[in-house]
Amino acid sequence: MAADSEPESEVFEITDFTTASEWERFISKIEEVLNDWKLIGNSLGKPLEKGIFTSGTWEEKSDEISFADFKFSITHHYLVQESPDKEGKDEVLEDLIPQSMQDLLCMNNDFPPRAHCLVRWYGLREFVVIAPAANNDAVLSESKCNLLLSSVSVALGNTGCQVPLFVQIHHKWRRTYVGECQGPGVRTDFEMVHLRKVPNQYTHLSGLLDIFKSKIGCTLTPLPPVSIAIRFTYVLQDWQQYFWPQQPPDIDALVGGEVGGLEFGKLPFGACEDPISELHLATTWPHLTEGIIVDNDVYSDLDPIQAPHWSVRVRKADNPQCLLGDFVTEFFKICRRKESTDEILGRSTFEEEGREVADITHALSKLTEPAPVPIHKLSVSNMVHTAKKKIRKQRGVEESPLNNDVLNTILLFLFPDAASEKPLDGTSSTDNSNPPLESEEYNLYNQFKSAPSDSLTYKLALCLCMINFYHGGLKGVAHLWQEFVLEMRFRWENNFLIPGLASGPPDLRCCLLHQKLQMLNCCIERKKARDEGRKTSPSDNVTNTYSGDAGKSGDHLGPDNLKDMDKEKGEVGKSWDSWSDSEEEFFECLSDTEELKGNGQESGKKGGPKEMASLKPEGRLHQHGKLTLLHNGEPLYIPVTQEPAPMTEDLLEEQSEVLAKLGTSAEGAHLRARMQSACLLSDMESFKAANPGCFLEDFVRWYSPRDYIEEEVIDEKGNMVLKGELSARMKIPSNMWVEAWETAKPIPARRQRRLFDDTREAEKVLHYLAVQKPADLARHLLPCVIHAAILKVKEEESLENISSVKKIIKQIISHSSKVLHFPNPEDKKLEEIIHQITNVEAIIARARSLKAKFGTEKCEQEEEKEDLERFVSCLLEQPEVLVVGAGRGHAGSIIHKLFVNAQRAAAMAPPEEDLKRMVPPEERRQNLAADFPPAAGRELILRTTVPRPAPYSRALPQRMYSVLTKEDFRLAGAFSSDTSFF
Amino acid sequence: MDEDVLTTLKILIIGESGVGKSSLLLRFTDDTFDPELAATIGVDFKVKTISVDGNKAKLAIWDTAGQERFRTLTPSYYRGAQGVILVYDVTRRDTFVKLDNWLNELETYCTRNDIVNMLVGNKIDKENREVDRNEGLKFARKHSMLFIEASAKTCDGVQCAFEELVEKIIQTPGLWESENQNKGVKLTHREEGQGGGACGGYCSVL
Ligand SMILES: Nc1nc2c(ncn2[C@@H]2O[C@H](COP(=O)(O)OP(=O)(O)OP(=O)(O)O)[C@@H](O)[C@H]2O)c(=O)[nH]1
Ligand SMILES: [Mg+2]
Repeated sequence: MAADSEPESEVFEITDFTTASEWERFISKIEEVLNDWKLIGNSLGKPLEKGIFTSGTWEEKSDEISFADFKFSITHHYLVQESPDKEGKDEVLEDLIPQSMQDLLCMNNDFPPRAHCLVRWYGLREFVVIAPAANNDAVLSESKCNLLLSSVSVALGNTGCQVPLFVQIHHKWRRTYVGECQGPGVRTDFEMVHLRKVPNQYTHLSGLLDIFKSKIGCTLTPLPPVSIAIRFTYVLQDWQQYFWPQQPPDIDALVGGEVGGLEFGKLPFGACEDPISELHLATTWPHLTEGIIVDNDVYSDLDPIQAPHWSVRVRKADNPQCLLGDFVTEFFKICRRKESTDEILGRSTFEEEGREVADITHALSKLTEPAPVPIHKLSVSNMVHTAKKKIRKQRGVEESPLNNDVLNTILLFLFPDAASEKPLDGTSSTDNSNPPLESEEYNLYNQFKSAPSDSLTYKLALCLCMINFYHGGLKGVAHLWQEFVLEMRFRWENNFLIPGLASGPPDLRCCLLHQKLQMLNCCIERKKARDEGRKTSPSDNVTNTYSGDAGKSGDHLGPDNLKDMDKEKGEVGKSWDSWSDSEEEFFECLSDTEELKGNGQESGKKGGPKEMASLKPEGRLHQHGKLTLLHNGEPLYIPVTQEPAPMTEDLLEEQSEVLAKLGTSAEGAHLRARMQSACLLSDMESFKAANPGCFLEDFVRWYSPRDYIEEEVIDEKGNMVLKGELSARMKIPSNMWVEAWETAKPIPARRQRRLFDDTREAEKVLHYLAVQKPADLARHLLPCVIHAAILKVKEEESLENISSVKKIIKQIISHSSKVLHFPNPEDKKLEEIIHQITNVEAIIARARSLKAKFGTEKCEQEEEKEDLERFVSCLLEQPEVLVVGAGRGHAGSIIHKLFVNAQRAAAMAPPEEDLKRMVPPEERRQNLAADFPPAAGRELILRTTVPRPAPYSRALPQRMYSVLTKEDFRLAGAFSSDTSFF
Repeated sequence: MDEDVLTTLKILIIGESGVGKSSLLLRFTDDTFDPELAATIGVDFKVKTISVDGNKAKLAIWDTAGQERFRTLTPSYYRGAQGVILVYDVTRRDTFVKLDNWLNELETYCTRNDIVNMLVGNKIDKENREVDRNEGLKFARKHSMLFIEASAKTCDGVQCAFEELVEKIIQTPGLWESENQNKGVKLTHREEGQGGGACGGYCSVL
C-alpha cells in the first residue's frame, strides 16, 4: 500500500502553473530573487559599531521583475560586513528575532550624515526594495498597494527570508515605503505617514509620544520607558560680513595690461560665487528618557546651545563658477571649431597681405627669387608695429577683433625685444628672461610635452587663452594668431631672432608648435650668419652665435662651426645619393667657376696623395692633438664641418618612416645607409680639403678612432714600432665608407652644398603656421595651458596647504603626463583633466571661504588656531564633523556667533509681512530674539520594547522616527508583533 | 600571422662605436655572425616577431651608429621607444666608461619615463677581458637596468637579452598599450545627491 501511495502523492504534489495568476507568478519571481541572493534564513551579524553606517561601505544588487506587464526593480541594499561563520549557529539562532528587528533598537547609528532614507528612518543594515522600474511610474491605488504588500508578505513567509522587504508606493519623490519583516513567530510592519501640512500636535515631543504609544497599543502599566533621540538641524545661509571676496575680473580695466590683478601671462583663479552656500548645524540629544525633558506646544527644554552633541556640515555650491576652470574649458572648446583663420576673419587675409605688401608674404614665390636685402638698421621697436600696420592697412581699426591697446600689450609681452632699442643677437633673448630653474616645476614641460614656462610658446598659449575669454573669443584668437604669423615672417625676412626660445635644434620634448618655432629660429640664425658673412670680409666674420650641439659632439670633433661655411656661395658637389638633397636647393648658390677649376679637376676618384698634397689646404678648424698625416707627417687638422640639419619631430617621423619602409633586406639596409651618408660625405670632403693628400686611415683616426688599430711590432731591425691599420670592417672592399671616401672631393664645408636648406625649411614652417586653424592651434597649445593651469593650482594650494589637494595635484600631473604624451589624446581624457583641475580649484576656493568664515587667521592662540584649522579642513573632507565641546567649545562659539549675527540681521531686515507669512505666530514670538532660527529639520527617534499585540505576547522592538522640515512631515514606524502567541 | 601579434614594440640599440651593436642585432634577427659588417651609418632598422609567455610581440629595432658624428641624429630615434639596449664591449674599458654619457643622453631625449633599459656586455668570447662581470652588474643595479653578458659571435645571451627586455616591457603597465584606458586615476568621487531623484538615493535629511 505504501508502495502504491508513492506515485499518487507525487502526482498530487505537482503544481499546475498553467492556471497561475499574474499575482502568483509575481510572488514566485520575488521568491526566486530572494533565493538567488541567498537572503533566506537568519544570519546574525555583529552588533553595529558606532558610525559604521558612515564609515562602512554600502552596496546594492538589482534585478528586474514584473507584475503582468508592469516592471518593477528589486534591489538589495546592504552594509558590507565580514560574513560571520554561519556554521553551527543556526540551531542556536532559531529562537532569536531577526537581525533587522534588533537593529531597530540600536542607537549607534542614529542620524547618519548620508544614508539611504530607509536606513535613516529604521536603522537597518540591509533591506530589499521593490519599486516601479520607470522613474515616473507609481503605484497609487490603495488596492494595488495592498496587493503588493500581500505579495511581499507571502514571499517572505514562503521563503523564510528575514531581511525586511519594502515596496515603494505613491510618486517616487514622496519616498513612501511600506514593508514587512518576518521571523519565526514574529513580524514587523513598516508603516509610513507623509504629509505636506503638519498637524500641530506633531511638532513637539509630547504629541509624538502620544502617537507612538497609541500605535503600540500596549496596555501594560507602567509602560516600559521610551528612549528618545532628538536632532534639530539649523541652517545658516546668511554669512553676514563674510562677503565672498572674489570679484570677477574687470574686463575693461584690462586694456592697460596689468590692471585688475590680471596680466597677460597670469592665469586667473578662484570661484566667482561663494563656493560654500550653507552651514548646517545639527544639535543632538542622543539619549533622553521620557519625563526628563519637556517639549510641548508652550514650552521646550530643548535649547540648541545646551545640546550635548553638535555636528556641522557645509553645503557646497554645485559647480561654482571657477575662473581658472572656465578659462581652460573655454580654450578647450576652440579645439572643436572647424573654421579656418581666414573664414573667421572674413577674408583671405594672407593672400591680400601678400599682394599689397610685397615684403611680407610670398610664401612660395620666395623660393625662386633672390633673398631680399635685409634691413639691418631697422629699429626693433618698429618691428612689431610694422606687422601691425599692415593689418591695419587692410582693415579699419574698428574692424579688428582685437583692440589696438590690447594687441600692443600682448605683442610687447610676447616680444619684449621690440621695446628695447637694439636688436637682440641670438642667445641673449632667452638668457635675459628668468633663468631656467632646475626645479621639478620648471621641468613639467618635459612631462606634459608643452613648453618651458618662460618660452614664447607658453606665453602665446596664455595670451590666446586670455583673448579667447575676454577679448573677442574665437575672432580675437584668429586675429592674434594672424598677427603672430606675420611677426614670424617679418623676423625671418629681416634676420631678427625670435625671442623666448632656447637656441639649438628643436627640443623634441616640447610640443610640435614650439619645435616649429625653434626650427624657424635655426633658419633665421643660419640665414643671418650667411647674410652677415656675405656682407663682411671672411676674416672678421667671427660672430658665430650658433651654439647648437657643439657641446655635445665631443672635443675631438671640435665645435661644429658655421662661421665661414657660407661666406661665399659654393658650387655643388657631385651628387652622391644624399638624404637631404633636392633640386630646389641650389637656387641661391652662385656657381663659382674659379673654384671649380681650382679643385675640381684634380679631385678625381683616383686622386692619390701626391696630386692632392699639392692643393692649398682649406677650411681647417684646428689641429687634432699631435696626430700627423700618415704619408707625410704633416699635422692632421680637424676641418670645419657642416652642422647637421635640425629636425622637428614630424620631419623625423617622416624620415624614420621612409627609412623603415626600405625594409630589412641587404639592399634596403644599403640604401638606408646611403640616404644617411650625406653628412659623412660632407665631412670627408671637408676633411680632404683641410688635409690635402690624406688617406682614409687619417680620416678614420679622427672620425672613428676605434676603427684604427695600432699594434706594437718588431721591425726587421728589431725595434718596436707602432704599426697601425684599419679595422677589419673598414677594410672590407667597397664597404660604404671606402666608397664614400673615394667619391669625396676636397671641398671645404663652406663651398659644399648645404646639408640644411634654411630657406626652404623656413618657408615650410611659415606655411605650416599660416594654415593652422584656431582649432589646430588650440590643440597644439592645450598642453601649455594645462601646464600653466596646474602650476597655478599648485601655487594657490601652497598658500593654503591642503594635504588632500597636494595628493590630487600629484595624481593630476601623473595622469596628464600619460594622456598628453600620446600624439592625439582623446577629448574625453582631456576633458577629464580639465575637470580635475576645476575640482581642485573649487576645493581651494572652498577652503578659503571656510577659513574666512571661521576666521582662522584671526585666531590668536596657537593651539586654538590649529584646532580650528583642523576643524575647517575636516569640514571640507568629511560629510559631517563633530564640534568638540558642542556649543561651549571654541568652534562652537564661533558657529553660535555666526547664527546670532544672521538672526540679528534678519530681525532688522525683512518687513513684518514676510515674517508673518513664513513663520507660525507662536514660533515667531519664540524666535524673534533667539540666537537660532527655527530648526529647519526636527528629527526624533522613539524606541521601546513592549509585548504586542497582547500583554502576554513576546516583548519586541518598537520604533518610530519622525522628521519635520519646512516642506513636509513624515512618520516612519516599525511595529513588531508576536504572531504565534497572542 | 600578424593578427595575433599583441603589440609592436620600438627598441633602440645604443652604445659606443664598435662594441658590436649591429652584430648583436644580426645575431638576434638572422642568427648569423658576419665579421664583414660595416660600421653603421646613421641608423639601421630590423624587424622580428618573437613570442614571450605566449604573447607575440613584433619588435621594430633601431640600430644606431655609435660614431660620435652621427649621434646628433640618433636622439630623435629615442622618441617613443619602449626599450633600450645599451651595449659595451667587455674587452674595452673605455666603452664601459662612456656608459654614463649614454645614460645622460637617454634621460634627456626619452619621451617617456617608464622606458625599460637593458645593459649588455658584449664580446665575452674574447680573451682579453677588461671589464669584470660584477662591474657591469653593479652599474646596472645602480641605474635600475636589466643586465646580461653576451657574445654576438658565439650566440651567448643574445636571444635571452631580447626576450628579457620584451618580457619586462610587457609587464610594465602602460608602456606597451598605446591606448591605456582606465589607467588614469579616478578622481571623481560620487557626488552628493547622486543616485538620482527623490527615491532610492543616498542623501542627507535636508
Ligand atoms: N669576438 C667578437 N667580435 C665581435 C662581437 N660582436 C661584434 N664583434 C666585432 O666587433 C666589430 C664591431 O661590431 P659592430 O657590430 O659593427 O659594432 P657596432 O656597435 O654596430 O658599431 P657602430 O655601428 O660603429 O656603432 C666587428 O668587427 C664585429 O665583428 C662578439 O661578440 N665577439
Ligand atoms: Mg653598427
